[in-house]
Amino acid sequence: MTNDRKVKSPGMISQVLKRTEFTLGVIIVALFMLAATFTKNFTSTYNLTNLTKQGAIVGVMAVAQTIVIITGGIDISGGAVAGLGCMVMALLQTRTGTPFVLTILACLAVTVLCGFINGVIIFDLNVPAMIATLGTQTVIRGIVKLLCGGLNVTYTDSRILNIGTGKLFGTVPYLALIWLLVAVIIFIILRYTVFGRNLYVIGSGIEVAKLSGIKVRKMFYMVYSFAGLLYGVAAIMLAARVGMAQPGTGEGYDMNAIAAAVIGGASLAGGRGAVTGTLFGTVLMVLITNAGTAFKIDPYILDVTTGVLIIFAVAMDMIKTRRKA
Amino acid sequence: MQDTILKIEHVSKFYPGVTALNDVSFEIKKGEVHALCGENGAGKSTLIKCIMGVEHQDQGTITMNYNGEWITNSSAVESQAHGVFANYQSVTIAPDLSIAENYFLGCQPKKNGLVDWRRMAEESQRVIDKFEMKVDPRAKIRELTIAMQAMVTISKISINDDIRLVILDEPTALLENDKVEILFRFVRELKERGVSVIYISHRLEEVIEICDTVTILKDGTYVNTLPVSEVDKDKLIAMMVGRPMSDIYNIEHFKPGEELLRVENFSDSSHFRDISFTLHRGEILGFVGLVGAGRSEIMRAVTGVEKRLTGDVYINGKKTQIRNPSDALRHGIGFLTEDRKADGCALGLSIKKNINMSSLDMISKLGFVNLRKEAKRAAEFSRDVNVKTPSIEQLVGNLSGGNQQKVVIAKLLCRDPDILIFDEPTVGIDVGAKQEIYKLIERLTAQGRGVILISSYLPEVMGLSDRLIVMAQGKITAEFDSEALKTLTEEEVLRKASIEQ
Repeated sequence: MTNDRKVKSPGMISQVLKRTEFTLGVIIVALFMLAATFTKNFTSTYNLTNLTKQGAIVGVMAVAQTIVIITGGIDISGGAVAGLGCMVMALLQTRTGTPFVLTILACLAVTVLCGFINGVIIFDLNVPAMIATLGTQTVIRGIVKLLCGGLNVTYTDSRILNIGTGKLFGTVPYLALIWLLVAVIIFIILRYTVFGRNLYVIGSGIEVAKLSGIKVRKMFYMVYSFAGLLYGVAAIMLAARVGMAQPGTGEGYDMNAIAAAVIGGASLAGGRGAVTGTLFGTVLMVLITNAGTAFKIDPYILDVTTGVLIIFAVAMDMIKTRRKA
Repeated sequence: MQDTILKIEHVSKFYPGVTALNDVSFEIKKGEVHALCGENGAGKSTLIKCIMGVEHQDQGTITMNYNGEWITNSSAVESQAHGVFANYQSVTIAPDLSIAENYFLGCQPKKNGLVDWRRMAEESQRVIDKFEMKVDPRAKIRELTIAMQAMVTISKISINDDIRLVILDEPTALLENDKVEILFRFVRELKERGVSVIYISHRLEEVIEICDTVTILKDGTYVNTLPVSEVDKDKLIAMMVGRPMSDIYNIEHFKPGEELLRVENFSDSSHFRDISFTLHRGEILGFVGLVGAGRSEIMRAVTGVEKRLTGDVYINGKKTQIRNPSDALRHGIGFLTEDRKADGCALGLSIKKNINMSSLDMISKLGFVNLRKEAKRAAEFSRDVNVKTPSIEQLVGNLSGGNQQKVVIAKLLCRDPDILIFDEPTVGIDVGAKQEIYKLIERLTAQGRGVILISSYLPEVMGLSDRLIVMAQGKITAEFDSEALKTLTEEEVLRKASIEQ
């Protein structure tokens, strides 16, 4: 027996104030202003370009992570999958002379396949997502090293590097543009499509979803394959930024991506999360590192700060939900 | 002269925007079974939480007579140390532990500082036998039926040595009649030992049968405390809802039309065998049986939630393949499951999203949902089933059980199904909401839909059905048409439901 809560329909403003995005926005603006006022070079074109480039790759992976987390899952194989995509592209390009467009398509095909395999392991073999993707992560890292023999492979095609250095109208880096584009597309998918909406239902309870006529198996395959596709996009961005595929390319990105999503309000319990929150979460994480460097703060201390921020964000979220329950 | 064990004095409790309890005072005597009656939202749960020390009242005092001293329990741990126990369901049992481990949660018997597994198993077995549960003490809670889980939470109380006050909150909501008898035996035993019992139930017949005293709450305020010998069901309902209510099962019945659904020779590996039945337009078909009779399992197989081995489904006379719940929905079968929290509604999502959850394809084009239509439909259907809420953006988790149930029904109605299967639709919801659901069933049949009603509560299912099927151990043992129903007694139904095969 629960009491029906008599809640007044919340006004627009109070609703905005309560959102995670608002809190994050305030912190981001404050941090930005501080760094802009008290440090040199922070607002230089060079640094701001760098900032968006730093954010772009984690940003795309964080968006992928968000859709997985909404379903109540998690995917820690993202970095490895992106690494594999990068390596496949580099090897095809340098060793076989495959046309540029085909190398990109091959990269995406491989990453989608990895995602699909994750979906099969998680749904059909009933392995918890964390363990399943830990497994695939390890396998994929092994495959990458086997493919390249533990050596770096440098791209010889300049077109890939152009993506990394190029700017639209000489101002907006292509990488940032890709990030924005991915975010907008996923935002629309989550908000306006049946597929997106069903992700939230699955995250609220697989049984509920099943009984509501949602084809849960297909959804699992789709969500992990889709995440794979986005890792493929991240792989191309990594290739563009670094100019070579290394055995360890992509390492650490998945954890940062998960952190960004969680800071942005995605709940690991499933059913909750949004692209806007993740976007803000990513910006905040990158900003801390970047502004911290501008303030000449020891990078190790910045790691500590980011860690504390993750715990703080989730703890705040738990307090909020507990109050509601 | 009976001593008082618990004094509740001027207790008030406020939640944001709601006064849950308003200046409530009464006493519980030693060795009495004291019923707490009231509709959902009357404040019963809040009050027992305050008694247990889980929540704290904002005003007033709750004191307990502990060996002649008046003490206050400010946490559940303190309460239990002083012999106060409750059967909170979801809270007190750990689904991944065994029955025995759950019984001794936090008080495992020790030998040389290590857990004494043998003693634990033996004592658990003793309790299981006493409650006639017929399960292995090593069975994990997760593997048990909901009814059996409820029995575990109740029987767990008897593990303790020093019991002074027992709070039973809706103990029979999920139990079959035979288990209810066992529960009553336990309550009477407690009473004989001088233990006081606070008994909360929506089933007023039980209150009249087992309780000595009844206190009625309404909208958080105290109404009255009376000896049970001075009240009857109608009087209780009148005090609870503030208006007299005659027979709440009295709904209009309609002449059954053509055949809607025919199930033939359904069998699965273990729960049911060779089941055939038909449902007609405008008909309410009731299913009764004891726990494990296989009623829910049949419906889960009919709707494609679980697999079956043999059997065919005919809808409107046409053989129809139903492989999964999505097929069932497309062919016009709406299924309201017995556990609405586990598989009926998404508690963390809004009313709007819940209502549209299984019919998004009907309001979308090329995979894109029409948000305007979505909001419009949610508003329309939540009004249609009378969900009490200030906004369709409200999270379903914040609604009362009755309103949650209405949201699930609205979700099903969105697809305009001809066939509705309601599995225990009124478990744990108050009299007012129950009646609304009965009226809704009446309206659905008036529109020519067919309703299958599964209920463990005999007065309800016998009172509402046009036709009644009785099951025992996975087989149909009797069927009563509307003529036979007029003279049917509960004893007769129970006899048919307990046929050994």
